Amino acid sequence: MSAQGDCEFLVKRARELEHAQDPYAAKAWLITARTLYPTDFNIQYEMYSIERNAERTASAGRMLYDIFINFPEQPVVWREIAVITAALRNDSLDKHAQFLKGEGHTLRLLTITLFAITLLAITLLAIRLLAITLLAIRLLAIRLLAIRLLAIRLLTITPFLPQHNSWTRGVFETLPGPVQCQMLLKATEQCFNTLEKAEMLLLLLKRFPESVVQHGVTLGESLLEAETVEKLDTPVNCFRKLFVCDVLPLVLNNPEMCLPASLLYKYLHKAAEFYICYVTREPSADGQRTASQEVGALKSPGRGRGQRCVIDGLSEKSSVVTEPWERLLEMVAVMGSLCDWQGEKGIRSYSDLLQRVTELCRYVSADAEEFARCCGQIVTCCTLVLFYSAVHYVSAVQPSLIHSQSSVSVCPWVLLEDLSCVYTDVEVERKHAHKKRKLADGREKTMSSDDEDVLCKGRGRHIQVNTSEMSGWAETLEHFRTARESWELLHSHQSLETEFVKMCTAWRTETWLWLRIFLTDMIIYQVKSHRLRAVHALSSLAVMSSLQQTQSSSSVVLDTHRCVIQQASCHYALGEFRMACEKLLEAVSGLIPQNEEVVKSSDDQRQSCIKPRRGNDLRLVPCTSKSILPFSLQLMLACFKLRTFTDNRDDLALGHVIVLLQYDWPQGESLFLKAVDKICQQGSFQYENFFNYVTNIDMLEEFAYLRTSEGGRVQLELLPNQGMLIKNPSPSLGAELNTLLLPGAQKADRHHTVTRGITKGVKEDFRLAMERQVSRCGENLLTVLHKFCINEKIILIQSLP
Amino acid sequence: MSDIRHALLRRDPLSAAKEVLYHLDISLGSALQSSTGPTPGLEKSTVDLVEEFIFHVYKDRNIQPKRMSCVQELQLLEIMCSYFQEQSKDAIRQIIFSALFSLQGNKADESRMAMLGKLVSMAIAVSRVTILECAATWLQRTHSAWCVRLAQVLMDDYCSLVPCAISTLQNICSASPRFCCQLITAVTALYDFSSDELTPPPALLEMLVGWITEDPRLLLLTFINTPLNSNLPLGCLEITPLLGLLRWCVKAPLAYQRARKPAMSNGHGESDKVTANEDLYSKLHLSVLQVFLMLQVHLTEQNLIGRLAVLPVESVAALVEEVIRICEKLTPLHAASQIQLALDRLAQALQVAMATGALLCTREDLRTLCSRLPHNNLLQLVMSGPVVQPQPHSGPFQPNMYPHIHPGRPSPHSPHQSALSSPHSPHPVLSPHPAMSPHRPLTPHGALSPHAYHPAAVVFPYRPIR
Repeated sequence: MSAQGDCEFLVKRARELEHAQDPYAAKAWLITARTLYPTDFNIQYEMYSIERNAERTASAGRMLYDIFINFPEQPVVWREIAVITAALRNDSLDKHAQFLKGEGHTLRLLTITLFAITLLAITLLAIRLLAITLLAIRLLAIRLLAIRLLAIRLLTITPFLPQHNSWTRGVFETLPGPVQCQMLLKATEQCFNTLEKAEMLLLLLKRFPESVVQHGVTLGESLLEAETVEKLDTPVNCFRKLFVCDVLPLVLNNPEMCLPASLLYKYLHKAAEFYICYVTREPSADGQRTASQEVGALKSPGRGRGQRCVIDGLSEKSSVVTEPWERLLEMVAVMGSLCDWQGEKGIRSYSDLLQRVTELCRYVSADAEEFARCCGQIVTCCTLVLFYSAVHYVSAVQPSLIHSQSSVSVCPWVLLEDLSCVYTDVEVERKHAHKKRKLADGREKTMSSDDEDVLCKGRGRHIQVNTSEMSGWAETLEHFRTARESWELLHSHQSLETEFVKMCTAWRTETWLWLRIFLTDMIIYQVKSHRLRAVHALSSLAVMSSLQQTQSSSSVVLDTHRCVIQQASCHYALGEFRMACEKLLEAVSGLIPQNEEVVKSSDDQRQSCIKPRRGNDLRLVPCTSKSILPFSLQLMLACFKLRTFTDNRDDLALGHVIVLLQYDWPQGESLFLKAVDKICQQGSFQYENFFNYVTNIDMLEEFAYLRTSEGGRVQLELLPNQGMLIKNPSPSLGAELNTLLLPGAQKADRHHTVTRGITKGVKEDFRLAMERQVSRCGENLLTVLHKFCINEKIILIQSLP
Repeated sequence: MSDIRHALLRRDPLSAAKEVLYHLDISLGSALQSSTGPTPGLEKSTVDLVEEFIFHVYKDRNIQPKRMSCVQELQLLEIMCSYFQEQSKDAIRQIIFSALFSLQGNKADESRMAMLGKLVSMAIAVSRVTILECAATWLQRTHSAWCVRLAQVLMDDYCSLVPCAISTLQNICSASPRFCCQLITAVTALYDFSSDELTPPPALLEMLVGWITEDPRLLLLTFINTPLNSNLPLGCLEITPLLGLLRWCVKAPLAYQRARKPAMSNGHGESDKVTANEDLYSKLHLSVLQVFLMLQVHLTEQNLIGRLAVLPVESVAALVEEVIRICEKLTPLHAASQIQLALDRLAQALQVAMATGALLCTREDLRTLCSRLPHNNLLQLVMSGPVVQPQPHSGPFQPNMYPHIHPGRPSPHSPHQSALSSPHSPHPVLSPHPAMSPHRPLTPHGALSPHAYHPAAVVFPYRPIR
């Protein structure tokens, strides 16, 4: 008889007895067997199985430890331990999840549990199959096919599995602490997958804080290393998540850890990069589906969302990072105490953080040595505040980029020069324009000291928002301001800037689309003070628009408009009117003119125009045709206005201005009168598009009057040389006359006004054109102007320098 | 001294007995205090007084014995009970108990036994722990024949006479585990399955199994609390109930087989009871094996492996002989499975006892010992020993050298732990400790429960069993 045979005989007898409902005898056999063959694995495993099947946690745990120590290379042991550690991992996650979620997520938890159950079922099935099969055959007295048996096993096991799960944990809990520690460590050694290994080690560190000193940093470094080895292109990966969310808190909060400041900085930067990228990562496909239901609950980016997204390599459950900004702030606070930062006690918010750093910066700026010492702190804190505020700003301005909600419900906003005062008197404007012109000329030269003056002036630029349209606008503007201030601080000193740039390079912030949006807006804000930067911004905008154009998704179209419009606004602010117009017309061609709300929007503007203006305000408007088209018209007007009201004669520009002045009539009345004055002075006026695009009755009347002797017999050449009119489908003459002769005081009055000119013997064709034009008064002005922009695009651009 | 005697003679028996007790207390108490030696000698005259006035055995045949009435006897027992309860000094209690009840080899012994039986029975009924503790010592120092008699009295009182009384007995396990341990030994000596009367009553069996599964350490209590150098008188009970219980487990299937033959005609009621008992014996047998494993831990800690025979080979040989004899009487055809069960148990116990160092015997000896037993696969395996094969684990494993000195691998136990468990003090972990006992009845190493573990030390209470 061989030893193998002996052991098989002994185990077989024990099994027989167990199935004969005599577990005591079975155990007695196994005890005997173990004393005979202490090194036989099957005997001890059978002992463990009996205890496990009887769910006696204490003795099972003890057996498991024995076989764990004696048979470290048995795969079955590792499977058992894997089941246990998996249960532990699930458990800690479940607790975490329950703690975080509350009742609304029962369904999710259920899914998770089901998932865990399935996992466990597979493992347990393999182990128990043999034993249970025998039992089932006995009980049912039927020989079942293997597959059917399997199915039955599944059905019978599943209801008990949650219990098994907790029982498995129970086995582990019965072991004394150091044994657990050792078991986890050994289990960790067996893992070849870095992630699994890390999770296992993490389990250890969480349970035994004293082991953090020994393993904490090693684990962290191995995770960071894995990240580079795997060549992952985003910091939002499973390794980093584990490092930042699980390992780092343990390391930082362990009082016995003494890490050098450089390492702490490195870790904090890694964490910050992760959190920021986590909050701002592209919404995943399935994220969009579910998150739209929660839109109402969202307050800040990253608070409610992101929970739906799955980090590669992690389960959906473990991909959740809650309150990333708060976590980051907590980490900063811990860092502050560990690195002896100055004035870092009791930080409550990011703006708080900025304020303290600003103060610190002011105090130490005189002392170079001290400044160098605080440099890291200032740059780190300031950068975090910058990104925090910028993310919040961008999430309000361009929600589709950060939130995973559909862009249909929330449109993006665009920051533009406020041109609603373009109708005001030109004299004030000209002086300013003159200066602009001068600046434009000196553009290629170096930054002049004169820029600094403007910077001081530009600091207080006001941003107009239609408060009824944008909820939380005050917050948004506050975030914008904070972000700008942090940016300023970071660029207030050479060494700070160097550090900041270094950090940006490491984080590859140039790939952060949302950051570009913020930077562009910031530069639009500062355009008059930072020419060079504005130029850079323009190029970056150009890159962005081309980038977005390559994506053809419908949600991007508006984003592209946004980009182009901003380019135009920026060019305008720089005094590059031709470029401004070019970009503008590019954007306008994609807009759809609307009609009904024209009056309302002009009301708004008129109201806001009552307030005193400094003329350098900005406007945050929704990026919709409704809001963008008026802006485009104003911008064009602004471009041509400057050209028109000079001493030089430019009838084409003057004509464009008159066409554009129709919008928001009678805001531009004074300007129109000024134009009329100029025409009178010139004695003649040539604008062949006049009858195509001027439908304003007041204007028509004025021009009709100009031809009369009372009006000064101004030579007007308003008819096109060719049949330009034919382009516009026109109603028949009879119908026109009908409308002309319509009863009613207002109409009659108009009729009277127009016919006054005609009866004075003007040329027949002019009279006819006038008459027909009057009939067009009811046409949608925006449609007309939109057509103007599209049809005359080339002429418009060419007529600008 | 004769003055006292004369004075006592004039009194009524009860007050005379009381007076003797009082006298004993005074004289022994003062002797204990003055002498430096371990036990002060008992004067002959005092012994005489005790025999005459408490046990009513007279040297002088002329004197008409003045016997106590039953009520008076009960009163005396009560007085004794309260005396032992109130006497705070353990040593004095022990001396007085032994002065009263140590057998002298004279005709007074019968009276002593009668009185002792009544006293212990009463102490159980009213839960007088001090008396039970004294009785435990008595059971340890007295010849087994007398112990069996005491056991018989108690069994009559609590098992046979009133069926429900056993629950009273059941409860004293927590009150005086030492007494229970000795009682188990005595009871196993009493019931030897030689006849139906000497088959353990099911209620008793159930109670014992209950006790043992609740805390298996109970079986080692006397062993652990007895200093190694204490020389016990010849013929006293075994130091542990292990062999006795093993005898039960091995002989039970054979005896019930014998009992089944007449029961066959009676119907099924009997066989059900037999099955229930089988279950209990199975459980009991497992407990015995587990206690062997616990014993190994203890022996290893005390460095006694191979130096102390907890199961004497002679006793084991006697058991084997008995089994051979019974097996010969049974018809192998009907009793084959029962015989195999008995032999399985015997083989298991022998193997485990040898492996754990409780039985000091080589495989060679074992083969001679068991050669005449009927064939049994496991027994064969145990007798030949495990097949030696190159072990991948390279553990210092010596299959043919049972009992072996525990492998010389570094003991995970730190020195301070073994210092704690020096032979002078009762074993710290095995002493009755209510917090640790009830939860892990089946853990072989429950003696080293994780609760006793100090987290700061890098010591593992669990060790693989070798």
